[in-house]
Amino acid sequence: MNQDIIQQLKSELKNVKSLEDLKNLWREYLGKKGRLKLLVKELSGMPGEEKRKQGPLIQKAQKTAQELFDVKEKELSEDKLSRELKDQAEELDFAIPKIGHLHPLTKTIREMNNLFIGMGYSIMDGPEIETDEYCFQRMNVPADHPARDLQDTLYIKEPKYLLRTQTSSIEARLLEKYQPPFKVVSPGRVYRNEKVNKSNHFIFHHYQGVVVMEEVGLKDLFGTLTAMFKKMYGQEVIIRYRNKYYPEVEPGVGFDMQCFNCRGKGCSICKGVGWIEMGGAGIIHPTVMSMAGIDRKKWIGFAFAFGLDRLVMARYKITDIRTLMGGNLGYK
Amino acid sequence: MKALYSQIKKLVPDLKASPREASEVLTMAGFMTDSLEKVQYRDKEDYLIGLEVRQNRADCLSIIGIAQELAAYYNLKMKLSEIKPLAFGEKEIKIKVEAANFVKRIFAVEISNLKNGESPVWLKEFLNLYDFNSVNLLVDLSNFIMIYTGYPSHLLDKEKIQDGQISWAMNKDFEKIITLDGSEIKLNKNNKNGELIIRDGKNILALAGIVGGQTAEISSGTQSIIAEMAVYDRTIIRQNSRSLKIVTEASGRLEKDLDPNGIDYAMNLLVSLILENNGGNLTAKPYNYYPERRISPTIEFNPKSPSVYAGIDIPEEKAVEILKNLRFEIKKPTSNPSRKGNITVTPPTDRMDVSMTEDVIEEVIRMIGYNNIPPDQLPKLAIVKNITPKIIYLSDQIKNILVNLGFDEILSLPLVKKGDNEKVNYSPLDVVTTQNSVNEEYPDLRQSIASGLLSQLEEYRKKNIEHINIFEIGKVFGKKENKYLEHESLGVLVYKRLDIPPLEKGARGIFKNKISGINNLKKNLETLLRSLGLNDICYSLSKVKPEIANPYSCWDISFNEKEVGILYKLKPREKNGAVYFFELNLAILTELLEKVRRNPVVEITKKLVILDANVELSKDKSITEFIKEIKQKIGGDNLWSIGVSDVFPLADDKIRYTVKVSYQELSDQEAKKLHQKMFGLR
Repeated sequence: MNQDIIQQLKSELKNVKSLEDLKNLWREYLGKKGRLKLLVKELSGMPGEEKRKQGPLIQKAQKTAQELFDVKEKELSEDKLSRELKDQAEELDFAIPKIGHLHPLTKTIREMNNLFIGMGYSIMDGPEIETDEYCFQRMNVPADHPARDLQDTLYIKEPKYLLRTQTSSIEARLLEKYQPPFKVVSPGRVYRNEKVNKSNHFIFHHYQGVVVMEEVGLKDLFGTLTAMFKKMYGQEVIIRYRNKYYPEVEPGVGFDMQCFNCRGKGCSICKGVGWIEMGGAGIIHPTVMSMAGIDRKKWIGFAFAFGLDRLVMARYKITDIRTLMGGNLGYK
Repeated sequence: MKALYSQIKKLVPDLKASPREASEVLTMAGFMTDSLEKVQYRDKEDYLIGLEVRQNRADCLSIIGIAQELAAYYNLKMKLSEIKPLAFGEKEIKIKVEAANFVKRIFAVEISNLKNGESPVWLKEFLNLYDFNSVNLLVDLSNFIMIYTGYPSHLLDKEKIQDGQISWAMNKDFEKIITLDGSEIKLNKNNKNGELIIRDGKNILALAGIVGGQTAEISSGTQSIIAEMAVYDRTIIRQNSRSLKIVTEASGRLEKDLDPNGIDYAMNLLVSLILENNGGNLTAKPYNYYPERRISPTIEFNPKSPSVYAGIDIPEEKAVEILKNLRFEIKKPTSNPSRKGNITVTPPTDRMDVSMTEDVIEEVIRMIGYNNIPPDQLPKLAIVKNITPKIIYLSDQIKNILVNLGFDEILSLPLVKKGDNEKVNYSPLDVVTTQNSVNEEYPDLRQSIASGLLSQLEEYRKKNIEHINIFEIGKVFGKKENKYLEHESLGVLVYKRLDIPPLEKGARGIFKNKISGINNLKKNLETLLRSLGLNDICYSLSKVKPEIANPYSCWDISFNEKEVGILYKLKPREKNGAVYFFELNLAILTELLEKVRRNPVVEITKKLVILDANVELSKDKSITEFIKEIKQKIGGDNLWSIGVSDVFPLADDKIRYTVKVSYQELSDQEAKKLHQKMFGLR
């Protein structure tokens, strides 16, 4: 009989869906007036031997029933929780957020700046609309000087106002305004009156450096430039330094990078020379220092400048110089 | 400049260096080798070294000049052909110099009874290697001497000169000249610089220093000539060459500094060659106009100084030896005790580029060779003051913030097409235009950074790119009265597709809240400015709106009453796309940020008390102003945040704003009391 009750309980439990119903069912079986409790009552009216036989069986049945109820209660509780969780659950979508990118010129300039900041340099810029005085005269290029041919000038109002052709105009302003000692680099935009095509533009980006100290020499200049080239082009880069005339320096320096393609033998990339011209440098010309009012007995300086565009193009595999300034530059 | 190796060898007989070695020495010494060609000359294998000769060394636009450099480097003797004694005639050549301030020297001779004709093979070969066409023997010899010595000369057929009277003058009469090769050059007698010409009584004979005219040109039948060599004030040659747009081998040399003294040797060589090859005799006295003889400067020089400038040890004796090889005259040490150790040196007269002690220092170091200075020793790092202006740091910060917000940096041309500025400008300044651009499509400098961002937008749209969030930092330009002004500007542009919903829904199809385009951009603007430290940004409807802006959706951005930028939605450009833009003046922003100090750190000991209040304002009143006042009244210690959480338009042009305030470090009662007081509630 106990077994029948347990069997019935089992089948009724199957249909219980809520904790409320379970509670009610428990009362039916194990409550004060529950079926199993009634069996216990009936026990008292039984003869002794029967009592001794049935007693443990009823107890066992009660225990089994309670166990069944406990299991079901646990089950039902878990269901509720997981249903709640399922309701609150969010699924992943397929949105890919747009991330931003810095322009390759900015990235390159930052790398260079970081190297120089590490060497104690400051960063400066200057006006892009310049005067003939700061762009040329203070750089030891008076009017009608042959060195004027080195650049084609874009004028705003000839002959006085122009768009700067070189970042040395920043140098001219720096030398005039600040007291030495100082170390400054200037990434800057320069303008030339040239026709735009795949490899030439009227806008370039230059990187200029000016150092004025109590003691500096060509060895310091070369060391600085070599460190920079190694950082930007790798340790194996080969740079040569040679005498080259620029009006704003004396002694003047030209520096070239060995052609990575032919390793100095000459090829189409380096136009047979074996070397690629990178830029100019030198000890700041005494006339430049005098015009800036710097005491030449106490101070000496060096300056350097080179173009950034080709470096950026090589690094980022850009083949057309016009891409740098807009149009088909995109980020994937 | 090209140098034939065999010619150099003739001038420096003891030269052992191969053409390659010689070219490497020259490269180090200031003349970069850009080609080394094997050639045939006079049936022998020879080498043509192509060199870059810079503007300071006109003396090396000659084979003799290059040879002298190599002789100096290797400490060898030069073997110049000797000056030949010449038998001159008696009569005078009729020359007048009227433009005296432009002429440094004129040397002229008259040769008659000569026979012109074809040049010998060696001369034709030579000229060919130098890319000259052979014309006739006289002309070819003149060109040969120019290449060999560096001195241009000009030959005139004496019979074609009117009255035999030649003068150097400024052009007052002539409208044009027909040059030796038949081209016509228009002249401008009103040219403010003046055009220096050679003329006779009737005709123009040459553009002095540049090119000769057809009138007195040398032909195969020429029997008598006037040969002249001159050195001018280089600036007039350059001015005339540029304004008349004609550049020749002669002008290329004479517009640089050439030593007038060198004419003696060059002319002697030319005359000797002519007499040798064409026959004839000198039928007049030489004409020598040389009012101010050039004398080399004496320069005080410290033989220790090259070591200082180079950074390596260059013994004093070595420095002196180099200068001697370079034909410098070395004089005794100065007796001045404060300049003990100094000597005085005089450069050879043909070194027009050496005038100060630094020039002498360069001579020493370049002959030592820069390759002897170690290139990879990091310099000693003296610590100096940081003078980087704040705007440089600000620009970098801004770029980082924008990139993190998902914007791409672009760069655009600061020069724009005609009419572009009118579309985007809102500043009161005038447009700055270039005068002489060869790129005529881009004459004007941009007034707003929007122009470039719009170009980029168009390019991206052409290429079908849909997610466009771009920014640029660059200069914008303007003119006020006669001052040219520029400042650094930030522009941010967003393109939104209106027909594509954002793919931000869960798998069960629930869309996230869509914020409007302008407010999305405003959110990014606020993030940017607040990250920099600028809170309480105000927006007011712009008084001056750019043409491309939707006039109902255009605001001036200001902080502390100072206008710092503009924010607007553009007029529609595309059916399914909307474009938004803001621009900030970074110069003003830098200024504003200098004055801002804010510590956002707080210690929170009590929970925040969050209360609402309804505020009714008429349409023209600013809720941001109202909130600003409340903020000041509440004070920083008790205010956590305040903002508008709801907006409800009422009748009679009023708007009800729900203002939500979070109070900190106050109990519930204290907060409620303060709140009631602030908003005038019961």
